[in-house]
Amino acid sequence: MTATARAAWAAFTERANAEYQAAVVRIGFALCFGGFLLREWPDRRVLYGDRSPWSFGLAQQMLASNHAFSVLLWSDSRWWFEGVYTASIVVSALLLLGWRTRTTSVLFMVCVLSIQNRSVLVGDGGDNVVHLMAIYLAFTRCGRVWSLDARRRLLHPEQADGGRTGVALWSAVGVLLAWAQFSGIAKLGMLAWGLYSWSTVFWGFWLLGGLWWLLGRRAESVRPGEPRALMDTLGDMLHNCAMLVIAVEVCFIYATAGWYKIQGSLWQGGSALYYPLHLDYFDPWPGLSHLLASHPVPVFLITYGTVMVQVSFPFLVFNRRIKNVLLVLMMIEHAAIAVTLGLPFFSLAMISADAVFLPTGFLQRVGARLSRANAASRSGPPTSGARQRLCRPPAESRRVMPRGR
Amino acid sequence: MAEHPTGTDPIPEPEPAAAPAPDPSPGWSLPSRLVLAAAAAVLIAATAWHLGTVFLAIAPSNTLSQEYSSAIDAHVYPEFEQNWQLFAPNPLQDNIAVEVRVQTLAPDGATPESGWIDLTAQDIAAIHDNPVPSHVDQNLLRRAWDYYASWHNQSDGTPIDPGGPMSQEYLERIALQRLGRDWQGNPISEVQFRTATTPVTGPAWTGAPSTARTTYALLDWWLVTGDDYQGLGR
Repeated sequence: MTATARAAWAAFTERANAEYQAAVVRIGFALCFGGFLLREWPDRRVLYGDRSPWSFGLAQQMLASNHAFSVLLWSDSRWWFEGVYTASIVVSALLLLGWRTRTTSVLFMVCVLSIQNRSVLVGDGGDNVVHLMAIYLAFTRCGRVWSLDARRRLLHPEQADGGRTGVALWSAVGVLLAWAQFSGIAKLGMLAWGLYSWSTVFWGFWLLGGLWWLLGRRAESVRPGEPRALMDTLGDMLHNCAMLVIAVEVCFIYATAGWYKIQGSLWQGGSALYYPLHLDYFDPWPGLSHLLASHPVPVFLITYGTVMVQVSFPFLVFNRRIKNVLLVLMMIEHAAIAVTLGLPFFSLAMISADAVFLPTGFLQRVGARLSRANAASRSGPPTSGARQRLCRPPAESRRVMPRGR
Repeated sequence: MAEHPTGTDPIPEPEPAAAPAPDPSPGWSLPSRLVLAAAAAVLIAATAWHLGTVFLAIAPSNTLSQEYSSAIDAHVYPEFEQNWQLFAPNPLQDNIAVEVRVQTLAPDGATPESGWIDLTAQDIAAIHDNPVPSHVDQNLLRRAWDYYASWHNQSDGTPIDPGGPMSQEYLERIALQRLGRDWQGNPISEVQFRTATTPVTGPAWTGAPSTARTTYALLDWWLVTGDDYQGLGR
């Protein structure tokens, strides 16, 4: 092996990379989906529940043919719907805070898929991004930093195995899963057995979680044993793959959006921006958007700038400095889209996805500053370092590689 | 990066003269190493498969995506479905308003008709001055119409299976939910839809005409029954 290949192998197998980026993506999408559910609370029954013009029967027909996953199709009872919707808000909040992320990230995926697939026709591009990232996040270690999990690992290292709450949560989820699997409530074959099925994913997560805990029990000495370290390493490798998929997915989004635009005559002509700003459905502030579209120079610059940034993004992410400039430009553009086109949740989803490319040093500085500000506002000058240490991975509690066996 | 093929590189890369490089994974027992290697192979293959199929699904139709379309679709649909042609290749240049009128049944046997009711205008009114528009106003009717249009022949308006009948039921129920059961005291017996399409007048500096003509497309009358209201809360 060459040195580069060796370094790549080490990066792949010896650590979970991009912990801060995973945390930012987790926080961003939990905020986006939870905020969306709260926003739609008054209309929830019309969008996803018993009052939907997209009736339970229509949803059944669609899901019977496309095999999408949604627990909302398991019962047409209003209270089943209300329960799932409310639980989704709670799960989003828990994921935002980083509570038991190994479990909540999977539950979050179930909630996102269930609600969106119930009425896929009320979604837009923002929902699509949330959908994909919710699946990918379930395979990451997104609670390593900036989370209640990290706090617990720091304050209670003896509970590294999850403590009693961990065992209780694992048992409860197991009971829930067994009930869904064996009671016959799962409809349309959503939990049908098969190698490439949701049953494999859910039971796989659950069984591996149990095995991991058991291996920790068996070697409850000072140092965890090799099988446990091996499982940790496999989890890191899975996380690394999922983070790569998230990053590449963001590149796909920009590359497709940009490459298809190049072929458009209006984008070539430099006036494409004018049109979305005059579509009634995306025009909450007509005065503002018409002002923005009133002069050829800004319209041209933003039209060409958008295409250039989108097309170049997948190639320039490898250049640190240019990447950061592009990220700032994209986040500004998405913030502007949030206001001018009336798409705040789409924009928040895209900004959260962009955040996977933010530099680690920047994220650490932001985290340190936030926790300092927090500590200062609570108890005067920051005397305890504990709060700031929450921003760093707790090195002392990370697994120890069994060396020299 | 890669090792130099000896045939093309006249100067062989000097190997470090010192002790051989440290084992990349010290400490793992042989079974663990085998597990790691197998897991790495599976994970890399799965990641490559996922990214490859998603790429082919979103790329323009090409020889590879046509050749392997069933394998690609099997993996990508439904949960990894995606479409990022946002405002591309050209942004939408029409404002499409969905309008509806109803026929009712009066006690004397007459069948009075309503005028055209602009459902889209209700959406737009709810979006105006709203920093956080609801999906109910921004997506529900708009995308229901897109869905209807994509499952009906553009030339003669006949439905395409299986989405055609489903999209009709959906559109009708959206209108009925907003209209209720009665119009001016008489029960609604039939509804008819039309779309009013108004192109966005292009920017003045491109020399585009400053006024636009609205064109209308009329659908058939659809019978309304009590079942159509099921679950609508009306």
